[in-house]
Amino acid sequence: MKKTIGRLCPIIGILIILCGWSLVCKLGIFSPYVLPTPEKVFNSSQKMLQSGEIFVDIAISFGRVLKGFLIAFVLAFSLGMSRVLLPVAEKYYEYILQFFRNVPPLSMIPLLILWCGIGETTKTVIIVLASFFPMYLNIVKGFTGCDKRLLEVGDTFNYTRLEKFKSIVLPAALPDILVGMRIGMGYSWRAIIGAEMVAASTGLGHMILFAQQMSRTDKVIVGIFVIGIVGLVTDKIFGIVIKKLFKGTGENGWN
Amino acid sequence: MAGIKLKNIQKSYMVGEREINVLKGINLWIPEDSITVILGRSGCGKTTLLRLVGGLEEPDAGGIAFDVAHKTAFVFQESRLMPWLNVWDNVKFGLKKQECDDKAIQSIIDVVGLNGFEKAYPNQLSGGMQQRVAIARAMAIHPSFIMMDEPFAALDYFTRAQMQKELIRLQRDCGVSILFVTHSIDEALLLGHKIVVIENGQIKSEFVVEENNEEQSLILKKNIIEQLDL
Repeated sequence: MKKTIGRLCPIIGILIILCGWSLVCKLGIFSPYVLPTPEKVFNSSQKMLQSGEIFVDIAISFGRVLKGFLIAFVLAFSLGMSRVLLPVAEKYYEYILQFFRNVPPLSMIPLLILWCGIGETTKTVIIVLASFFPMYLNIVKGFTGCDKRLLEVGDTFNYTRLEKFKSIVLPAALPDILVGMRIGMGYSWRAIIGAEMVAASTGLGHMILFAQQMSRTDKVIVGIFVIGIVGLVTDKIFGIVIKKLFKGTGENGWN
Repeated sequence: MAGIKLKNIQKSYMVGEREINVLKGINLWIPEDSITVILGRSGCGKTTLLRLVGGLEEPDAGGIAFDVAHKTAFVFQESRLMPWLNVWDNVKFGLKKQECDDKAIQSIIDVVGLNGFEKAYPNQLSGGMQQRVAIARAMAIHPSFIMMDEPFAALDYFTRAQMQKELIRLQRDCGVSILFVTHSIDEALLLGHKIVVIENGQIKSEFVVEENNEEQSLILKKNIIEQLDL
């Protein structure tokens, strides 16, 4: 019984919001242009699903997000790893990274258009800039926060620095790395609108901006829902993979 | 007789701006094929001495000479198992790929009484079982010397007694040399072939324990208590 109620909780939450939304529309507090009814949004989403245009936008945005996310992860992992294996290297790039961490990726758009044009590169760079830092900070935390007592175990078995990294530091840092990846993936989706603001003709971000220009608030809301749902599904997949990886090894904060 | 020779070992640490001399010239002979127990109260320098012999730290002065080709293993006060590895993988943690022999690993797991728990993760084991995995991990590399830093301190009375028995059996069956640190006089008398009493970073006295001689044990206990001014 308790389990059934637990499963129903999210649905009840959504229903409350839908009822509230419907009520606000019925009372005419806002004009239908500012806040279209849930029915209108549902009908628009049905049309978009039937025509298949939404799937094309999802696929294109997903491709961009994935590309930017993977590049950001490789960069974050390499720089995080070099902090452990080559501590001297950190001195050269740490201040530069901290500088860019405080620069909003959107403020870079004018420069990126000048340097990289209006093609895919600029969009990818924006996603990289948005998702790199949460991943980098978590990866560094994971690598540098490794329990010294476990490293001593490696010392007692005459492990080399590389062996200690591979067998102790990396597995110990895995929960932090995965948390960083999860946050990074979320940031990549959040950056998609900014990225697709740059002369895009496809993708969810473009779809939302185009709908705004055409005064189709219902389509804007559909776009927001789709981004949220795709992000949620990606996040859940991450959760399942991590649960499998950490099976039996105790709490990992991913459940 | 082969063993480990410690010559005038000195070690100090800086605590704030104060220099603390933990070891003040230790000269010691640790014989092979036996259990040597370092006994002393907390903070006397016994763990530091063990860490120096185990190569985890360098002495400020003096030297440590291994008389035989040595292969050492360390068992810490806490089990220090890798939480992401199961019992089987933790036991073979110190082995190189080419050294892994499934039969040998299984037999070590059997020896420490963990048959059937090969797939269990550390958080699924009790403290005593975790400590036994740590001992199996040390034994798996077939060391000639094992350093043990109060390995049973966190265990309950019954598990500790069982582990002490197992350690004596392991030492006898496998013929390894053990350097064992403890603050318990009874544990030192039960396990040790040689007992070294340390006080304020210096060796206060050394005793050779005769096996199954309860009378001698009582006299030794009295002596140690007097020396440590308890």
